[in-house]
Amino acid sequence: MILLLITVAVIKAENGIEMNGKYSEAVYKGKRILESLPVDYAEIRLASSTGTGISLSGENVESFTIGESVAGSVRALNNGSWGFATFNDLSMLEKYIKSAVLSASLVSPSEKTVLTRSPAVEGNYKISAVRNFMDVTPDEKFTLARDYNEILRSSAVVQTTRTGYRDVNTKYTYMNSEGSFLSYDKLYCGISLAAIAKKGNVVQPFHESVSGYGGFELVTGKETLAERVVKTAVDMLEAEPVPGGTYDVIVDPKLCGVFIHEAFGHMSEADFIHENPRMKEIMVTGREFGPRSLNVYDDGTIPVLAGYIPFDDEGLSPRKTALIKDGVLSGRLHSRETAGRMGEEPTGNGRAISVMKQPIVRMTNTYIDNGDFSGEDIFDSMDDGLYAVDVIGGQTNLEMFTFTAGYGYRIKNGRKGKMFRDVVLSGNVFSTLKNISMIGNDREMFGGLGGCGKGGQSPLPVSFGGPHMLIKNVLIGGKM
Amino acid sequence: MRNSIERVLPRGAGWYDAVYVSGRSTPLSFKNNRLHSVSESESSGFGVRVNLDGRTGFSYTNDSDNIDGAVKRSVDMCRYGDRENYSLPGDAVVSFEPYDDDINGFNLQEEINRGEKIIDDLKSSFPGINVDMGIASSTGVARLLNSAGVDVSYKESYYSVSVSCSYIMPDGTRIETWDSRSELKPVDCSFLKNILSGKIEKALHTEKISSGLYPVIFPPPAFGRLLSFVASGFNGVSVWKGISPFSDKKGEKVFSESFTMTDNPFIPGSPYSVPFDGEGVNTVKRFLVRNGVIETFITDLKYAERLKVEPTGNASRGYSSLPSPSFHGVAVEPGNISIDEIISGIDRGIIAEQFIGLGQSNTITGDFSASLDLAFLVENGKIRGRVKDCMISGNIIDLLKKDFII
Repeated sequence: MILLLITVAVIKAENGIEMNGKYSEAVYKGKRILESLPVDYAEIRLASSTGTGISLSGENVESFTIGESVAGSVRALNNGSWGFATFNDLSMLEKYIKSAVLSASLVSPSEKTVLTRSPAVEGNYKISAVRNFMDVTPDEKFTLARDYNEILRSSAVVQTTRTGYRDVNTKYTYMNSEGSFLSYDKLYCGISLAAIAKKGNVVQPFHESVSGYGGFELVTGKETLAERVVKTAVDMLEAEPVPGGTYDVIVDPKLCGVFIHEAFGHMSEADFIHENPRMKEIMVTGREFGPRSLNVYDDGTIPVLAGYIPFDDEGLSPRKTALIKDGVLSGRLHSRETAGRMGEEPTGNGRAISVMKQPIVRMTNTYIDNGDFSGEDIFDSMDDGLYAVDVIGGQTNLEMFTFTAGYGYRIKNGRKGKMFRDVVLSGNVFSTLKNISMIGNDREMFGGLGGCGKGGQSPLPVSFGGPHMLIKNVLIGGKM
Repeated sequence: MRNSIERVLPRGAGWYDAVYVSGRSTPLSFKNNRLHSVSESESSGFGVRVNLDGRTGFSYTNDSDNIDGAVKRSVDMCRYGDRENYSLPGDAVVSFEPYDDDINGFNLQEEINRGEKIIDDLKSSFPGINVDMGIASSTGVARLLNSAGVDVSYKESYYSVSVSCSYIMPDGTRIETWDSRSELKPVDCSFLKNILSGKIEKALHTEKISSGLYPVIFPPPAFGRLLSFVASGFNGVSVWKGISPFSDKKGEKVFSESFTMTDNPFIPGSPYSVPFDGEGVNTVKRFLVRNGVIETFITDLKYAERLKVEPTGNASRGYSSLPSPSFHGVAVEPGNISIDEIISGIDRGIIAEQFIGLGQSNTITGDFSASLDLAFLVENGKIRGRVKDCMISGNIIDLLKKDFII
């Protein structure tokens, strides 16, 4: 209802995306200029977005906003050097094309950037939705968020809550000097649910978020999730910090996913490998990295998931890339630039958080694939150890990682016992991968409104996941 | 701009305010020891907040042709807002501008040469080192207008250099370290290479250390990260929500006598200084903690009303979001002992420079736990070498209550 108040001239463009006059004029102009631009390579990206954001906290409405933005960028490669220009006045496209070309031509670098080239591709992509959130009234979005927030507030020991709803509809156009022309009508939405429980001086936050490409159906019916959030935050009040030491650990699908994304996925990004001589020595395809049952993939082609892309931000198609196959290192992720530099096939992983940023090597949907064991088999096999569930955060430095699980349980003779908080796992990723001893068959994937950060670009929507997994001898930090 | 807002406002509307920001920046990026890209970026945006019947709505756009649309959306969103009864300030004054004309002296070629020189020098000291660097210059204008008669704007300038390097020793040990500077105008930051070289030099030799309790020295960047956990408890939002450990402790002596922490909007030469905040409240240096006693929680207009205090001028605001309280520049008053004296007084301890994984634990309570990414062993008052593969944990609030030296 409110969106109808936007008074812009709406026209139907050739490719089926509705755009205002300035945008379609920029598309037309850009296409024409790219045909004869005197550079080695150039691309133009344009985007126009409308988004809704709701943030509720406790009994308060922090914000409820509908906003819009337009943006464009030009990236040009000339004589091995990049020039880049960004702007939000699309009527000035020509000026910024000149600026990018000029920037690229300023210097002649000692080592030249070489790109993987691609044949021209054309395509119009559109996310299909059971119920497009652009047709859902602000009232209904608000009610949904408020109802979740009420669930989060349902416990007396919950000090405060935060419920977030976000949706964004982006019309995105990609075109380059190779003649590619791609458009994408993107629908992305999600919710985040957080409860902060407090008792005396103990404060325990817990948080869950879901997101994906699709319609309003992605965010409805999440009452059970909200109930789990509040229960976990409350339960954690009574949990004690885990005593430090070395444990056999069963990780749940979410922690498994975060582990493979953070500790291994980032190392599979070719820019990282190329920049680190030590990584080049370690990340040799064909080398054994884990048990035969270990298979790790990055796959941007899976619809709905937060890491789905119809094409990457360099106009290349995504694919399913095996990073580890049968325990052996078998691939890595590339942008056009890293593929060109390392003389390998591109994988369609050149991504940017918005058209205002340059694409860099990023993951999409990254996961450890199913193994042979049921979740039950894995728990039954454990006499004494820990079950680490969910994740609060994680950081890595080359092969060293530190993750904080949301919470955990002592496992004795296959049974869940005492609950722990502050479960911090740390170690070396390569020895940890080798210590994986059982892989479950119950893989789940997780997205969320957070996302991945790298090179000053955050948050980029990605998903990650895996099955339950038993890892031997994990170092768990604790207080002394 | 005022006209286009007032034209759209319905009759009987309460107050409104709007921000308009525009800027231009030129970032250079060096990757893998070489110039990678030169960019130019221009952007602008408009955000408007309207109060109707005591409720506030907000919207934004960066399409200059659609200011009307944003105002209309803002009006429509009012009915979802909380009740807010504060009024807007009418006395915002541009007492200074965080701007230096010398920013116009930014010379691309000169910057490229300086950057390449830093890389060459680091390479000659540490063959095989990998250096990434960002150099950026930007200028902008921030404008604020409101229904209380304010229509003010100030210029901003910003220059920054950041250098990060990764050096792998012959035995495979990796040393990764970085540093950066932000200024109002271009300055020669070549000295950063000396700071980084110094840290790498000290890390070339490694020492072992066993688990236990040690005195730990946190140099300013590392201390700053821990301090941010403490500072978050002084934000009016967490105080009002009752999640700050200091919520009910105003006026109480919580920290050691030697601990004084301020929030200062007027740090000389800092590009983060502002004459007034995002809502037009004039800014003042505030004592968050004075000699261990909790003195001020920072607020914007909304949280000042909720907490029933005077607004502190800490509303931070981009064009695309509502204001919220944030710090200008948190600083701890220095003590009177030099870093060398501190080190020389330690029998056996650690200097913690860089962490991995800090901030994942329950930071609201001051708890921290992290792996030490770069840390040095001190023995008998001398730095012996780097310590690796160890974790540090504690509670920063508790530590600031007890014995420590600044």
